[in-house]
Amino acid sequence: MKFYVCIKQVPDVNAPLQIKDGQLVQDADRNILNAYDASSIEEALVITEAHGGEVEAVLIGPEKAKETLRKALAMGADSGTHIVTSGDENYDSFAYAKILATFFKDKEYGYILCGKQSQDTDSGLTGSMLAEMLNLPYSTNAVGLELQGDHIVVKRQGDTGQEMIELASPGLVTCSNDMNDPRIPSLKGIMQSKRKPVDTIALSDLNAGISEADTKTNILSFEEKPEREPGKKYEGEPEEIARQVAQLLDTEENVI
Amino acid sequence: MSTLLTYISINDGKIKRSSLEVLSRCNELAEKHGLKSAALIIDQDPAPAAETLKTYGPSVIYTIKNPIFKNHLNTPLLKALSTAVKQIDPRVVAFASTEGSKDILGALAANLSAAALADMSEFDLTDDGVKGKRPIMASKIISAVEAKGTPVVLTVRSGSYDVVEKQTDSSVESIDFAFSEDELKVTLKEIISASSDRIDLSEAEVVIAAGRGVKDEEGRKLISELASVLNAGIGASRALTEGGAYDPSLQIGQTGKVVSPQLYIGVGISGAIQHVAGMANSKVIVAINKDPDAPIFDIADYGLVGDLYKVLPPFIEELKKIKQN
Ligand SMILES: Cc1cc2nc3c(=O)[nH]c(=O)nc-3n(C[C@H](O)[C@H](O)[C@H](O)COP(=O)(O)OP(=O)(O)OC[C@H]3O[C@@H](n4cnc5c(N)ncnc54)[C@H](O)[C@@H]3O)c2cc1C
Repeated sequence: MKFYVCIKQVPDVNAPLQIKDGQLVQDADRNILNAYDASSIEEALVITEAHGGEVEAVLIGPEKAKETLRKALAMGADSGTHIVTSGDENYDSFAYAKILATFFKDKEYGYILCGKQSQDTDSGLTGSMLAEMLNLPYSTNAVGLELQGDHIVVKRQGDTGQEMIELASPGLVTCSNDMNDPRIPSLKGIMQSKRKPVDTIALSDLNAGISEADTKTNILSFEEKPEREPGKKYEGEPEEIARQVAQLLDTEENVI
Repeated sequence: MSTLLTYISINDGKIKRSSLEVLSRCNELAEKHGLKSAALIIDQDPAPAAETLKTYGPSVIYTIKNPIFKNHLNTPLLKALSTAVKQIDPRVVAFASTEGSKDILGALAANLSAAALADMSEFDLTDDGVKGKRPIMASKIISAVEAKGTPVVLTVRSGSYDVVEKQTDSSVESIDFAFSEDELKVTLKEIISASSDRIDLSEAEVVIAAGRGVKDEEGRKLISELASVLNAGIGASRALTEGGAYDPSLQIGQTGKVVSPQLYIGVGISGAIQHVAGMANSKVIVAINKDPDAPIFDIADYGLVGDLYKVLPPFIEELKKIKQN
């Protein structure tokens, strides 16, 4: 069975951040493979290693993002497609989903996997938008996948429990990072990744027909989250500090 | 085009508070902009919830009734929402941010060719759409965003608005909806749920969150005791949900749930940004950690530096005394 995994390069949220002239500026150039996408790749690899099949990673992004596609190949994906953008587009999830839908239009596959959200913007929209555009059955926030014959069973994290869902093929699943621990590429994997096939498509050659109307949301500005007033640290005898804070929660904060 | 529509999430027959928060905000916006606030219930038995909703101010309560809505399943829910939206023609369709609404928001937007805004912490109307704010970069940054067109579909973080009661003469209108099992592209086989008598984490006034420092049965017992004294919901960091010590639905943070209680007590939690992303809006934050340099102390109002196994017993004792008085 063929698995496509949609991946994205994101800024590392742990890297120092600044807002300069209304733009987000990252001190160091620290871009990484979105953690939720890494889990999607890992899961596709685990399934195809056990049952046979192939894994292709698809990335939309500027030239520089190719390093992230290489990482997916180094983890073990068989091949990759890079849809190259200029990096200056102000596309939103809808526009990206439409680009992916154009790419997948004439493809054959068992399942498309996506991260459930991206670590930088946390919108979590592209996956189910893509499913709807391709008219595929889908499941989101998967924490487990199992191939049973010709279809997969998804364990989905719902609000209060886990839902076991049978999903027909072809279908789409968005994956949580609670699903697995993505492997770190081995040296051998990194060497092999250099010889793996990567198809590079300029966005303009894809004819996705992205118009202004396809970007339906805009970011207007950024601001730093206001910091909390620093509180007080209590050190010393456990009994004493425990009593003291318990009292204050009652008398000062009125939350007991 | 003159309606603000709030989708009402129901869990175990009970309306989720976060839905009432969103409805209250829509009531306020409707008044401010001269529009109509309406609610939508999609359930196997919407009548009781519709009755309750009359205390919360919508001028119309739309209902869709079908046995298929006993459990969450995206295919029928999507079809029902799409049917309702086409009939009602609202300017905004607003949801509380839950795993249920996150499951369908993107697909609904694609289906309606509408703009979608996820996990908003604030929103208002503009002449031709919606503007508002949402946290990004693991909640380190707030971005101001706008969406154009009709309708705009959006989800709102729990705790962003207060629930305001408002008695109204709401009319209840049921919307015709048919669904045959043949249309199901996904099949729900089983629901594995953790104990049901638990307090809903996203609605709890007090949340106790356990982290890696809570390393054994004894530690978990102390957490349960503390939670029971304070009538609190129990949550956990990823370190503990991943290891299986706590149910995955209890994870607080970027991957897990967002909580905004009056009181959050983090026990043996370091305060990684991905965890903080889910609890930073708590009113009072208490942290218990043996490492004086743990990042959680940077955001804690009360930081107890010490071994949780030594701090918790007297803390619980003292709280019991306070409660008894
Ligand atoms: C994309 C992504 C999403 C994520 N989403 C989430 C999420 O939703 N929620 C989440 O929680 N994490 C999330 N994480 C993981 C997060 O980065 C941290 O790894 C995790 O929160 C750490 O959990 P912890 O604080 O319990 O453990 P640790 O970081 O190991 O901290 C344990 C703390 O316990 C203290 N301690 C140990 N023993 C004791 C004792 N006896 N008494 C007192 N204190 C003690 C230690 O000093 C330490 O500070 C995510 C990570 C990524 C990359």
